[in-house]
Amino acid sequence: MNEREAIQGVLEKVVNLDIDGVTGQVSAALKAGADPRNVLNDGLSAGMRLVGDRFQSGEYFLTELLLAGEVMKAGLVPLEPLLVNTDIQGKGTVVLATVKGDIHDLGKNLVGMMLSAAGFEVIDLGSDVASQRIVEAVRKHQAKIVALSMLLTPMVISLRSAVEEITMAGLRDQVKIIIGGACTTPVLAKELGCDAHGEDAMAAVYLCEKFV
Amino acid sequence: MTSIERVNSLLNRQKLDRVPFFPFSLGFSAKNVGYPVGSVYSEPVRSFDAQLWTQQMYGHDQYPFFGSAVYGTSEFGGEVEFPIGDSIQSPRSVRYPVQSLKDIDKLRLLDPQAAGNLPKALEFSKMQESHGGLISLVVGGVFTTAGNICDIRNLCMWIAREPETVHRVVQLAADHILSAARLWVKIFGTQRLLVQIWEPTAANSIISPRTFEEFVLPYQQKLHQEILGLSVKHILCHICGEQNKNLPLWSQVPMGDPGIVSLGQQVSIADGIKYFGEKNIIAGNLDTSLIANAAANEVYEAAKKCILAGKDAPSGYILMTACETPSSTPPYNFYMLTKAINDFGFYD
Repeated sequence: MNEREAIQGVLEKVVNLDIDGVTGQVSAALKAGADPRNVLNDGLSAGMRLVGDRFQSGEYFLTELLLAGEVMKAGLVPLEPLLVNTDIQGKGTVVLATVKGDIHDLGKNLVGMMLSAAGFEVIDLGSDVASQRIVEAVRKHQAKIVALSMLLTPMVISLRSAVEEITMAGLRDQVKIIIGGACTTPVLAKELGCDAHGEDAMAAVYLCEKFV
Repeated sequence: MTSIERVNSLLNRQKLDRVPFFPFSLGFSAKNVGYPVGSVYSEPVRSFDAQLWTQQMYGHDQYPFFGSAVYGTSEFGGEVEFPIGDSIQSPRSVRYPVQSLKDIDKLRLLDPQAAGNLPKALEFSKMQESHGGLISLVVGGVFTTAGNICDIRNLCMWIAREPETVHRVVQLAADHILSAARLWVKIFGTQRLLVQIWEPTAANSIISPRTFEEFVLPYQQKLHQEILGLSVKHILCHICGEQNKNLPLWSQVPMGDPGIVSLGQQVSIADGIKYFGEKNIIAGNLDTSLIANAAANEVYEAAKKCILAGKDAPSGYILMTACETPSSTPPYNFYMLTKAINDFGFYD
């Protein structure tokens, strides 16, 4: 097996959700002489992107997406020590949160997982996050994008507050704000002065890639 | 017709004056009468009063009921937090009974008289009984209950990795629900009993129809057969969220004579009628986000559209929200729903 075939094998392990086989395949790719960065980008991350595409097309469901995240984690085990000292250029930092008053985090976590797989540094603030914490995180991490999740309709008020606080802090020009979650719509995004609305986790990845 | 007469006529396949209206308004009712939102899920007396008074005020037809979407967590020994203040709408699971595979063997069926929120639900049903309306037992569907036992994230992971474990938890959920139904039948009889089963977690935004077919359908089917076998006449099954790909499978689940199938906004009333309407009453599917956030005239038009789409369903139709009416819904928007019913819901 040459280097290229081995990396393709990693991609296939991810797409086929083979959690038992992925670690061995990554090790095999490294043994075949593959650069760890290529294993990450062309194997694991490319596989996650295909998983995301299958999710969007309705072939895969949440269960498969969650499992793919675990496959990715298993695949990273032999890679991480080798990646520590490399000069991987990330795509930028995304501050991620479910807004104040809303405790749902499943969708947000999926977005975080897919963004990480796509090469973004994700600062996940968790759920039920106050606007001020979002502002602080944007400042501290010099984030390019803020991704906000909301599942409960009454929490529009928190979403509005987050956008206003970012604006009042003078950070609005430096970040793009995207929103997602069951109760969000493109119309709501426009009304609140956000930059975009993402329908699902993959849409969030596409939007972030568009904005960096 | 009074609300009770209207609903009874519908359940007995008799003629009724107009389309009944079920607003699924728990938190909204609490706020409407000045109670904390959390009280409607945790305090039977306040919950009953808030819903009854709101029903009287707006003239809707849904008799008070007691339940939440986290069914299963506390009933198997976990911990639920009820909304504090008005900013969070729903109860949430804060400690699942099963957090890892090693906890599975510790799972036991608890006596339904003492399990989780069921003692409060019993107290609530005694009030329903003395007031003369429908007596309801509200439970989760088998998959939702299983997800509330071991966290939906674990459940999804184990579908691929530990399928036998998932089968085991789902079976346990079904056994528990049946034991609760048996208790309600024993105490209240079946004449006025409506078993409400809420199933949001089996939605296609979470699982595939193939997963549904393997891990949900056989258990849900058997559970409904067994509940109906207790002489329960009607099951209200809330098929919450995006379930379009599951509809052919759900149509194999008996709901009663007639049952009530309640739809999320993602499933059209036309599809609901197609799959369930011959045998069952169709209820739905007003978009709750719209009710809470849109202008009053848009809410009125949306309700009108639903009424006209469902009014002539073969076994009847209930105007119902697609899920719980948000507690933040403007009262005037809520009034628009009753206005639409009065303007378009009457039969000749």
